Amino acid sequence: MGSISLEHIALSILIWFALYLIVSLSLNIEYGFGGIPNFGRALAVLVGAIAVGAFVNRVIMLVLGINGDIIYASGEVKSLMNELISKDPLIGVALFLLVILLAAALGALTGALFILPSARLSEDYLAITLLAISEVLFMVSYCNPRIIGGYYGVSVPDIFAWAPGEWREPLFALLLIFTATVIYFITDRILSSPYGRLLKAMREDEEVVRACGRDVMWIRIRTVALGSSIAAVAGALYSLYTLNVIATGFGRVEWTFYPFLMVLLGGAGNKKGVVAGTISFVLIKILLMTYKYEIKDLFNLPFETVWLEYIIFGILMLLILLFRPQGLIEEEPIMTEPMKEAWERYSKEKT
Amino acid sequence: MTVVEGALVYSNLLVLLALGLTLTYITTGVPNFAQGTFAVFGSYISLTLLRLTGLHPYYSIPLTFMAGSLLGVGTYAVILRPLIRRGATTVILMIATLALDLVLLGLIGAYSGILGSISGRGASKFIFTPLDRDVLGISGIFATSTLVILLLISSLLILLYRTKFGIALRASMENPSLAEIMGINLEYTRAFSWALSGSLAAIAGSLLPFRQEIVPATGAIIIVSIFAASIVGGLSSIFGAIIGGYVIGLSESLITYGLSTIFGSGILLYGKVVSLLILTIMLLIAPEGLVGVKWRRARGVKEGGG
Repeated sequence: MGSISLEHIALSILIWFALYLIVSLSLNIEYGFGGIPNFGRALAVLVGAIAVGAFVNRVIMLVLGINGDIIYASGEVKSLMNELISKDPLIGVALFLLVILLAAALGALTGALFILPSARLSEDYLAITLLAISEVLFMVSYCNPRIIGGYYGVSVPDIFAWAPGEWREPLFALLLIFTATVIYFITDRILSSPYGRLLKAMREDEEVVRACGRDVMWIRIRTVALGSSIAAVAGALYSLYTLNVIATGFGRVEWTFYPFLMVLLGGAGNKKGVVAGTISFVLIKILLMTYKYEIKDLFNLPFETVWLEYIIFGILMLLILLFRPQGLIEEEPIMTEPMKEAWERYSKEKT
Repeated sequence: MTVVEGALVYSNLLVLLALGLTLTYITTGVPNFAQGTFAVFGSYISLTLLRLTGLHPYYSIPLTFMAGSLLGVGTYAVILRPLIRRGATTVILMIATLALDLVLLGLIGAYSGILGSISGRGASKFIFTPLDRDVLGISGIFATSTLVILLLISSLLILLYRTKFGIALRASMENPSLAEIMGINLEYTRAFSWALSGSLAAIAGSLLPFRQEIVPATGAIIIVSIFAASIVGGLSSIFGAIIGGYVIGLSESLITYGLSTIFGSGILLYGKVVSLLILTIMLLIAPEGLVGVKWRRARGVKEGGG
């Protein structure tokens, strides 16, 4: 294991668990509850990163009067802002709040726009279109250096610049776990409302929802906007954590496929399942990441271990679909007050 | 190779890929998200034969064809058939093909490392253009890809319209339950469509390195053009896939080329944006595609514009 300490592994597990939990929760709203196969989840995460790398950076450039292209100027922004934050931690807090709000707003807007072309079509068209839009915009932000610096990427200020270096990781882990917990309770609140039941109804049978006078297209637009807004927050947090934004960090495998894997592994449409799926996935992933050189040496692999990771997680997904489609924890019916009463009456009558 | 030739070569290959995607969509009701990686699989088969036996990619087409059909049948028999038997929904089947895409990407990536260390030359990216020669003033790949597509489409048409199996195949595409009553085994027709789809993709993949550089992840971005081509053609029509392949292939290459003469060569990177725009416009104005819905989907007769 060499220089990697146990403490570091524990912190990366916490950090990745929090980041992935936010994305899985967002996907659980759209896919788990609403049945919308959003194969373009990565786009919303990328938009969160763009909110930091392209928008917030440019706002700071305006305020501080920095000129030049974004790749170079973001470096300036970073060093100037770090100096300011190290003197006044409140600036760091303000920056954090600005980033979260902006990412959520941009995410919602992108989500609503990107489902528009396919919102009234069947789920296969939905999946195809969302994946296509996500792939193309990923490619554009990688090829075009003027958005988030293309293949060079851009720098991001450190919101914890006031803290000593060794505090940074623990502070971030705390902040991420806190944010993920808040989002967990918010999504739980939203999904326990009649809206959550409406989503499940839509997942089970669109025609019934239509027959009850609800507009399926409108529900889908709202749902993907909500989910994308949450996923964008994860993208923004990830960028703040890594201190830079580069398009390659927001690919389809990491931010679309893995979230689907976590949701399906744990059990779609159920919050405990999503938490269980995320923690199991993150444990496997961090173990693979930590011991990648040992694995490579042990089996004398003539290739990078990332390919092995893809094979393992791809096969895991297929095994889940084939042998445990309900996931680790099975979905339970939503017990509203009238439902509980009806259930009690029914059990009494039975006995 | 002239610009128009290049555009036609690309369109020819896109037709093969869209045709395969459409075939399996009609019979199984699932868009195959691994179709792009099926092509890259073909690219690596022909690269392997070239590196290890010196066989020119043009001559290895029959072998690539067979390898591709094995991959296609394997996909159906090992992954999709068991899922369909358990009553999996379209979304679950789509996720399964997405997972297969990732497994294949991992296998191809790992294999490229192994092939690189066996043949002593890196295989994580490669191109075949230096192997090509002009024939009577036209580029070899243009002649080959056109020949291949004429041959394949005419044999497909003969198969579909002149043989008993073709009639069974069309019947099971048009009305699966009625076809089953008439004694047609849907398992055969589905397995056949997957075999054909895999081999069409593998052939397209073996010729693609003559036009662009291939890396293990090439499939992830080609899939956008394949989907665009199939959807422009209506996703449920074989003729639509042919038309859609040319519409997307030609506009992707020629529109970006036209724009590059005005805005500079930087614009050439954005060819896929053109495909995406056409796909989006198509879904907004005519989701049933250019030729309209001709053949109903096999699994659950559901219209595109649900």
